[in-house]
Amino acid sequence: MKKSATHKRILSISRKEFLHIIHDPRSLIIIIIMPVLQLLMFGYALNMEIQNIDMAVIDHSQTSVSRDLIKQFEGSKYFSVFYYNNPLSEVDELFLNRKARVILIIDQDFQRKFQRGLGSSVQVLFDAADPNAATMIKQYVNSAILEFNESHNGKLPQAIEVKPRIWYNSDLKSDYFFIPGLVALILVMISALLTSITITREKEMGTMEQILVSPVKPVEIILGKVLPYIGLAFLDGLLILLLGIFIFDVPFIGSSFLLMLLSILYIITALSIGLMISTVVQTQQVAMMMALAITLLPTIMLSGFIFPLKSMPLLLQYISYVVPAKYYLIIIRGIMLKGNSLFQLVGQIFFLFLMTLILLGNAIRKFNINLEK
Amino acid sequence: MRALRIMLIKEFKQIFRTREMIAIIFGLPVVQLIILGFTITNEVKNVSLIISDRDNSRISREIVRSFENTDRFTVVNYTTDQKRIEDAIQKWEAQVAIIIPRGFSQDYEQRRNAEIQLLADGLDGNTAGIALGYAQGILQNFQIPDNIKLRAIHEASVKPAHIIYMEERLWFNEDLDNAQYMIPGIIAVLVTVISMMLSSINLVREKEIGTLEQLMVTPLKRHELLMGKILPFLILTFVEMGIVLIFGQYIFSVQVKGNYFLLAGLAFLFLFTTLGLGIFISTITSTQQQAMFVSWFFMVFMIMISGFFIPIDNMPDFMQKLTYLSPMRYFLYIVRDIIQKDAGFISLLKDIIPMTIYGLLIFVASTIKFQKRVS
Repeated sequence: MKKSATHKRILSISRKEFLHIIHDPRSLIIIIIMPVLQLLMFGYALNMEIQNIDMAVIDHSQTSVSRDLIKQFEGSKYFSVFYYNNPLSEVDELFLNRKARVILIIDQDFQRKFQRGLGSSVQVLFDAADPNAATMIKQYVNSAILEFNESHNGKLPQAIEVKPRIWYNSDLKSDYFFIPGLVALILVMISALLTSITITREKEMGTMEQILVSPVKPVEIILGKVLPYIGLAFLDGLLILLLGIFIFDVPFIGSSFLLMLLSILYIITALSIGLMISTVVQTQQVAMMMALAITLLPTIMLSGFIFPLKSMPLLLQYISYVVPAKYYLIIIRGIMLKGNSLFQLVGQIFFLFLMTLILLGNAIRKFNINLEK
Repeated sequence: MRALRIMLIKEFKQIFRTREMIAIIFGLPVVQLIILGFTITNEVKNVSLIISDRDNSRISREIVRSFENTDRFTVVNYTTDQKRIEDAIQKWEAQVAIIIPRGFSQDYEQRRNAEIQLLADGLDGNTAGIALGYAQGILQNFQIPDNIKLRAIHEASVKPAHIIYMEERLWFNEDLDNAQYMIPGIIAVLVTVISMMLSSINLVREKEIGTLEQLMVTPLKRHELLMGKILPFLILTFVEMGIVLIFGQYIFSVQVKGNYFLLAGLAFLFLFTTLGLGIFISTITSTQQQAMFVSWFFMVFMIMISGFFIPIDNMPDFMQKLTYLSPMRYFLYIVRDIIQKDAGFISLLKDIIPMTIYGLLIFVASTIKFQKRVS
């Protein structure tokens, strides 16, 4: 008897929260559209190659060999070459005005040295302001020069033949890794951010007291309030997953049941973070900023979502142990892309479970203390 | 004017009323700086590696040693068992395996294209690509140790070597230090977040809790009301910029090479855009949650096509054209060029002009909308 009353109360709070979400179609659309937009943008925009790099050429040699070398660059899809005839002292203008990313300078005695067979050098200036781009451009220049050398000397003798074999994703596409990551991000964003705001909203608007004098128990309030968001998070995550599978051909090898089960665990972890926040803050503004600070940034940066954790300084690697997405990413990528089994993911599940217990326990305790005040 | 001053004092009191907000406003940029400064890089380290040396000869051991001695890779296991290699990759324990087959050294010494296998888990395509590049680079050393040796090979043969070397110079960032590039970007993002998001939420808050009417019956004029609302965020934005620059200098030794006044002046110009957007968002929303979502939407869109996360050069053509729509694109270039390259007013004109046009249009349009809304 008592149980069904609890049921009813939770459901009616859920309905109220659900109506609140529905009443504001714009926010709802943003919640749903944003991840899709992000998916499409990253999916289509993220291209690890740079093409048509502006290259300025200063050819003081003006010989057949130097023109050959320039042709080598002109023939490459990576470079778009133009000649620059102003005095050398003005080359920095090229970088300052972003007219060129790389400058090739060929000296006067270039051909003479080249033909004597002592090796001739060319000067290459890089705009290294963006170090990642500079590194990549350097590789392109290097391989163009290597090709030039080979075409003038015949293939150089190779002692070792390296045979790379790439598993799971032989084109090295970034979508496979990115799309499951996006799911992890969306689940945490909706669960943690929205719940923290929704409870704080009642506080700020002064409607919390009204609910409290009703016969509803605190646990029922919380459950009722978060249920619609769990549903929303689930749907949104599913949408991204399906889009990823159908548009970007991300494989799904493992058990979808296992993934669903563990996704619920992850959502509960994220909800506990949101609850935790809502118990300590008073205004939506603070709740929002705090949720952004402790969920959004770490989930993107300290989980292995885009950048591998092992490349980071140790301190940040330690911090990553308390980022739930770190574990969930291994779970979702493992199940989807490698077909990992429950047994292989025990460590991750344990950590998520532990984190949830600690957070939820604290949140409920704090919530009760606040109510008594 | 007096009314405005009082309003400003009220606003600042409201913003800093809670301890958490102070922590967020001053702590968040620092946290953001540290996390982004250290994490966004294409440099890959400690890739987990399995070594399978089935040859166990002098040369194969030498190759193994050079993989052990680099911080690019961390050796997690040595095994000659194919099954264990496959297992480790399936369980995410290793990302790359190097397999030196039996009989390698004989082929190597006779220069018969001795074979080495590199096995990579390609799921993290980016890391795998870079790691394979590193591995091939290391093996390259055993191929032809250096140019000197290359020349020796050729001198021994009849033909002279007609070879070109690259003498490289890296301008603006000799050490290829990533923070030098990231931190100016973080400034642009922070400026956008603080000015647009916080100001729109703050304006809507008065509406949501019903205090906007109260403010309107005060002797404050409409423009004073608006000024009182946005000036605090303008000031805060500059404080945040200062914090990031100071921490950037101490933690990451990022020096501003260009002129501080130029930087501040152009940031001021950019604020017309973001504050204007903040005002605009507040006119089309009625709750803080809505304001947050809408400004979040604008923000993500603006950042995505600004070149902050994905460099503009890496985008396909139509996306590159799309970036001209993002006002942040121009500001991002300006901040980076002033800090990294000491760019002057003239060479930045091609960004300053569109940014200013954007700013004025957006600001004027949204103030008019706000005035109408309020009356």
